[in-house]
Amino acid sequence: MNFAFSEEQDLLRSSTSRFLERRRSLATLRLTLEDPENFDRQAWADAAELGWTSMLIPESYGGGSVTDQAIVDLIVLGEELGRVLHSGPFVPTNVVADAIATWGSDALRSEWLTPIAQGSSVAAWCLSQDGSLSPEECSVRAAGEGGTYRLNGVARFVEGATVADVLLVKAVTDEGAVYLLVSPADDGVDVRTQQCIDLTRRFGEVKFDDVVVDASRALSADSIEVEERAVNLATVLQAAQAVGAADQLFADTVAYLRERMQFGRTIASFQAIKHRIADMLISLEGMRAATHYAALALSDDFPDAQAAVSTAGSFVDETFAALCGESLQLLGGIGFTWEHDVHLYLRRALMARELYGEPSWHRERLCALAEAV
Amino acid sequence: MDVTVPEIPTRYDDFTNQLRAFITAHKPTLDWKQRTGLRVPDNEADVAALRTWVRSLHDAGYQLARFSLDETDPYEQRILQRELAMAGVPYVLGNPLVGGALKTFGTPEQQQMLLPPMSRGDHIWTQLFSEPDAGSDLASMQTSAARDGDDFVVSGQKVWSTWAQWADYGYLLARSEPISGPGGISAFVLDMRSPGVEVRPLREMTGTTDFNEVFLDNVRIPAANVIGQPGGGWTVAQTSLLSERSGVGSGSGAGVSAGLVEIAQQHRRRGRPAIEDDAVRQTIGDFNARSRIFKALGYRVATKAAQGTIEAWDAPLTKIWFSELNLEVAEYGLNLQGGRGSLVEGDPDAYDDGSWQDRFLYARAWTIAGGTNEIMRNVIAERGLGLPREPKGTP
Repeated sequence: MNFAFSEEQDLLRSSTSRFLERRRSLATLRLTLEDPENFDRQAWADAAELGWTSMLIPESYGGGSVTDQAIVDLIVLGEELGRVLHSGPFVPTNVVADAIATWGSDALRSEWLTPIAQGSSVAAWCLSQDGSLSPEECSVRAAGEGGTYRLNGVARFVEGATVADVLLVKAVTDEGAVYLLVSPADDGVDVRTQQCIDLTRRFGEVKFDDVVVDASRALSADSIEVEERAVNLATVLQAAQAVGAADQLFADTVAYLRERMQFGRTIASFQAIKHRIADMLISLEGMRAATHYAALALSDDFPDAQAAVSTAGSFVDETFAALCGESLQLLGGIGFTWEHDVHLYLRRALMARELYGEPSWHRERLCALAEAV
Repeated sequence: MDVTVPEIPTRYDDFTNQLRAFITAHKPTLDWKQRTGLRVPDNEADVAALRTWVRSLHDAGYQLARFSLDETDPYEQRILQRELAMAGVPYVLGNPLVGGALKTFGTPEQQQMLLPPMSRGDHIWTQLFSEPDAGSDLASMQTSAARDGDDFVVSGQKVWSTWAQWADYGYLLARSEPISGPGGISAFVLDMRSPGVEVRPLREMTGTTDFNEVFLDNVRIPAANVIGQPGGGWTVAQTSLLSERSGVGSGSGAGVSAGLVEIAQQHRRRGRPAIEDDAVRQTIGDFNARSRIFKALGYRVATKAAQGTIEAWDAPLTKIWFSELNLEVAEYGLNLQGGRGSLVEGDPDAYDDGSWQDRFLYARAWTIAGGTNEIMRNVIAERGLGLPREPKGTP
């Protein structure tokens, strides 16, 4: 295990960063904050050439990773996307692509993997009615009828739902849950953009009203297995975005504190401020170490991969939110304005905290794992 | 569960097995009760037994790179540190901080004369830095070293010296030049048996005696015992302190949550085992995460050290992470024991003979020793991030 990024990964980072600066900077994002989709399909397709959606897709379908540690490649991307609060459905598209590549039939793989890798199709993941992982919150029911399923119910907080071309839907049958691939264009599917505190990413409510889905569109594995992998992956990718965002916000905040003069000196020269900055750096480095280790653990299948992911899941987004709060306080009045970006980071963090496994879910898993030792 | 940086190849299995057999055969039996932290034996027989152990370890060819002048194999080094820590036996006695200073700044004569006996357990070292009035502001130290012919004559008072009561040599900082601040300080090798050296063991809040006060009254030190340049002691000390801070707590952190789980299984809260309480489970989960992050931070620092990309904030950051987590964990361990948490070593009903109570009390040392955590935060902000320095005070 090497706790450093490789040269290829450094190159991936710089090319991604240059692309984002040119095409989807935070300044660009600000222009479309009120846009219900907030998605630049052409930029997404161009970004696909940098590997944003192909790392977990086999080469035979046009995918491929930069190194043999695809998930570490992905956190490099995730950090850069997070740095500019990128709005695209990076997490769900990769999670769904991975699920199709791993458990999809040949027909499903042929249908979806190449378009996803090329950036022409986008995927979303419908998990539950409140965004949580609690099985009892999965309200979509699937009634089996001779080779088809009939879906009824609702999923919410579905990242990228409004722009998705394919939905990975968790549905409960009499024999347990299944994962199905559903097209949002199918009869009976209705997608509404939710008005969320996060102004950068888009989340949707997806209603299923007697939607008929062929049984051949089910993933082959047990839903628990599919979900565990998806949650692990989503947790790490979202954590990487938090690391990139926190890194940028920290740098911007410190730069401001170095310039801002009060009482005839820069406020960064006050010990009360310096100690809070030191604490922010301690948090940030903890987030970084937790995320990097989790990515390595998932990539290389470490025996403690579950605990590694839940370490990131319980710590990173919650700490990111706290760090945004600290930044805002240290920035003072300017931080309370609409014009300053800090509220965009804070809003993003608040929502990220609740998605793909809330911190308390991960902490419970960590306690259970400690008991099992 | 341990993931190494990078993994130890299987060709080292023989080395590991031989080392384990060696430890089993030679591990000393001690009267003194071992506790967590940098603790010191309370009787001479145990010190002698530990000297014999370190000597046999060294003579069998097991040497730590920090004190060795020979080439060492990095994998063997890692195995050695891991196995010794697991067996709870030391690889060196006393405070080995001087080792790094001698390797970097010592003359070849000093290195030859002092390093092998230290790694062989023949010399026990103590550190003589802090003074009653110079703690965080170490550079304001008053202990003086006046040049007199081929000697320096040293007078003053030092404190917080671990192992001084058993030490053969001291790693001393004293003011040799007529200027205030860091520029006037020199580093010395002090023979602890020199006339004028008086050691008074200091009993701490733990009830144990792990530190000492050391009084120096016109002690003569040969000029050849200066480490580095006269007046260059601050640089020497900074270099060695940096390695001490990053070393703090390394190897611990693992097993934190297992210990808490055990307490939570054996104690009750609101009429049922504490481990069934949701708030308890959340807290243990959180400690598990933070101790795992501590371990990951250690891997990261090790990788950065290997690549030469260490930042000035790395060591103090790791020190703060460990010491604050350690204190919280220890306090929670007591909390989980409920009323029983107030029973200490010696009481028949105390949990694990009061080890957690001792650990809690000793945990207060880590947030202060090796640079208080407040000074560490200054270092992160000023040396790490380049923020403006604190203004010099006027009384």
